[in-house]
Amino acid sequence: MSEATLLAVFEDIDPAANAIEKLHELGVTDENINVISGVPVAHKMLGRPHPPTNVSRLSMGGAIAGFLFGLFLNFGTPHLYNVPVGGQFFTPIPPGMIILFEMTMLFALLATFLGVFLDSDFPNYQPMEYVAEVSDGKIAVFFRCAQQEALKITETLNKLGAESVRPAEARQL
Amino acid sequence: MTVDLNLVGAKGAIAEAAEGKWGMSIDQDICTGCQACVAACAMENNISFVGEEDAGYGRSQHWIRIERFWEGAYPEVKATPFQPMLCQQCGHAPCEPVCPVFATPHSEAEQLNLQVYNRCVGTRYCANNCPYQVRSFNWRDYHTIPERGNMVNGTLVFPLHNQFNPDVTVRRRGVMEKCTFCIQRIHKAQDKAKSEGREVEDGEFTTACAQACPANAITFGRVDHPESLVSQLTHQKRGEKHLEELNTLPRVTYLKEG
Amino acid sequence: MAVASKYLPGAKQAHDTHHEEEDHKQYLMFDPKPRGEMNAMVMESMHTTSWKFWVVFGILSVIVAVCFFYAWGYMIAEGLWVAGVMRPSYWGIFLVNTVFWIGISHAGTFISAILRVFKAEFRRPFTRAAELMTTFGLIQAGASIFMHMGRVWLSYWMFPLPNERQLWPNFHSPLMWDLLAITTYVLGSTMYLFLPLIPDLAMARDRSTGWRKTFYKILALGFRGTEGEWRHLITAMNFFAFAIIPVMFSVHTIVSWDFAMAMRPGWSSTVYGPYFVLGALHSGMGAVAVVLFIMRTTMKHMDYFIRKEHFDALGKLMLMVTFAYTYFFFNDYIVQWYGGDVATDNLLHWLEEGPMAWMFFQMVAFNIIIPPLLLWSKKIRQTPWLLALIGIMINVGMYWERYIIIPVTLSINRMPFTWKLFEPRMDVFLTIGTFSMFLLFYMLASRLIPLIPVWEVQEGQMAHSLRKVGKAHVPTLSDFE
Repeated sequence: MSEATLLAVFEDIDPAANAIEKLHELGVTDENINVISGVPVAHKMLGRPHPPTNVSRLSMGGAIAGFLFGLFLNFGTPHLYNVPVGGQFFTPIPPGMIILFEMTMLFALLATFLGVFLDSDFPNYQPMEYVAEVSDGKIAVFFRCAQQEALKITETLNKLGAESVRPAEARQL
Repeated sequence: MTVDLNLVGAKGAIAEAAEGKWGMSIDQDICTGCQACVAACAMENNISFVGEEDAGYGRSQHWIRIERFWEGAYPEVKATPFQPMLCQQCGHAPCEPVCPVFATPHSEAEQLNLQVYNRCVGTRYCANNCPYQVRSFNWRDYHTIPERGNMVNGTLVFPLHNQFNPDVTVRRRGVMEKCTFCIQRIHKAQDKAKSEGREVEDGEFTTACAQACPANAITFGRVDHPESLVSQLTHQKRGEKHLEELNTLPRVTYLKEG
Repeated sequence: MAVASKYLPGAKQAHDTHHEEEDHKQYLMFDPKPRGEMNAMVMESMHTTSWKFWVVFGILSVIVAVCFFYAWGYMIAEGLWVAGVMRPSYWGIFLVNTVFWIGISHAGTFISAILRVFKAEFRRPFTRAAELMTTFGLIQAGASIFMHMGRVWLSYWMFPLPNERQLWPNFHSPLMWDLLAITTYVLGSTMYLFLPLIPDLAMARDRSTGWRKTFYKILALGFRGTEGEWRHLITAMNFFAFAIIPVMFSVHTIVSWDFAMAMRPGWSSTVYGPYFVLGALHSGMGAVAVVLFIMRTTMKHMDYFIRKEHFDALGKLMLMVTFAYTYFFFNDYIVQWYGGDVATDNLLHWLEEGPMAWMFFQMVAFNIIIPPLLLWSKKIRQTPWLLALIGIMINVGMYWERYIIIPVTLSINRMPFTWKLFEPRMDVFLTIGTFSMFLLFYMLASRLIPLIPVWEVQEGQMAHSLRKVGKAHVPTLSDFE
């Protein structure tokens, strides 16, 4: 049984949401559907499951790493080469707070940024299924279904107000 | 004298123990303001000659300067004693912790503020934070200004380079410097004493400024030895320290109006 | 009311409702355009470049080459004596510029992070313009710090790296805190500029050709707008919006600590942290007004995106910031004045009677007295050129403020023998150089980066609607996020 990947373009959120509902009825599961949009559309509006993300976990990891690095800088490095200055402690706590804060934030921000790259597979210059109308505010639903059902689904979606339904082909962005 | 700097309250502990090691007393009542100390210091420590214009603008690099004040308005002016000002070698030096690269650390062995010329990157924070304003910065390579050299057989020759003191580093542009209490002389005396198997004696050596002072207003020595001359002078009633209220623990005592 | 309504014929009432809706059309959020049209407008504003642009660009390039690169190179080769620094003003105009540019950079974060967290809707069209100011301002601030150093070629000794004997930098030093904080802020704000830019770069990629296509394609990283991509992006942006606010406050507080930690009369003040943060916002808001005015007058289609309502909202923000700044300013000076410390007394006399008194009083007038007098008026707030003028005035005042805090205050210390007034020398050229470079970067960015975050504007327009309550049409905001 061969599979077809189709791409349906919608003008607005409502028809797209209806179409997704219909697809579910026709036996296309959520794993086989993806939505591309030019503005963030909440998953609830389209009746889609919550997309998982690791970004916040990575931020947390970054924060912990940064905190440890800050600890090393403030409380570790003075022991590597001891230089007394101004009658202050070798490993003073008040300036240490500043070092800890800055390093925690820096690493957390870097990890968050990196998280977006890792989770979204950036940068990715391979050919991908995409239609440029999406950045004009349209919503594209692309889904995988059995080859023999493709025609039937296409007709159904056209009835639901799809601007076009066509086989999705990977192209250079 | 070892103090655990990591103990809470270490600052107070140092304050009590901090007579320091090397100290100086300056008798303002007999200072004539002759500037011999300034000249001697410049010779001893290879201090740049910055020239009239830059000195006038505030870029003189002397490690010791004679401050001259007067009271009242012209013509009823009354001169006050001359006030030689140099690095006070503070026990709690405000200049030390602010350096980002540890270019001005504290010597635990000699109880002096050190300036590491080759570590300095020239942020000049130490000079800003010095309440005595005794740090001087090398704004320019004054030693090698081409107009000050003589062209001899196609190469620039600087006659003044012949009088450099070989014991002292010549500083380049972009680094901070300050009075070191003639640390090269301290080390020389210590080395000599060690080779002869004895302690350094009081009055065996002195700093360039003290040596040059014709009125003997400047005395240098061990302030932690009660029998030394400087220690006795320092503990006179008329002794006072500058800006003591800032808790900098200065090592220079000024004697005035005895 | 009953009496009044008696005189109003029905037709007039209908007209009023219509009029009301027309009023709401004055607001960008209630005047939506199809996304495609907005995209085209933003693309066109990037492509339309008149000869005047290139003339200004050329002049600025020459100024940058001479006043920034040549002047700096000459200063490195000759030493700092070509600048005005001396005893006792060991710090001069370079650090004035640093503080000034870091101040400017605070506006971007304030607008894009704080206003985003609190969902202030007027922020939408100009978050990017403000964030660009952050990044470019920080570049100038960083350059000014390096200019200030005596041996800049060894500046890497300040980086948290050991030397061959395992000697690390000194974390007791406020300058080290500063270095770490500014690094965090530069990286953080640049990433925060880039994240919301990705969808707009993808938009630009889809509708450009030639070298621009390649440029946007590389920068857009292959963004398509799938559910997952949006989700990761928005999670990250939310985190950034919250996390960058304390970083922003910490940066200017730490900059103020460079001064406040020192034992100098006038500097050693516990209120310096918040005082500097508010000062930064003060100059930053003024700079945003100037940038918005320039964008609106020189770039095509910008009068659609940037409207009177935005200037009005910005004017209100400026008014509030002026009050807050005034509070801290007064707090700092009255405590210094009341203390009666002799060195501080000398300093205050110097400020009010000395040769720089004109600058001190001009600063008070420009920062504290004039802005609130003018910004009360809605008419003035809604006049773009007037608001830009007030912005310039505030920035002049804030520059004077930093000038007074650094070289003028340094003139007075506890050793009266060394008192001396700072004279600017070649630092003036380098100052002009940094300002020109900032403008040059901004001009370049306006040709390359969509200055309007189109997807955010569209998101806002989708969320806004007019709801009928009784006879009136009430602006309504749906909370999509």
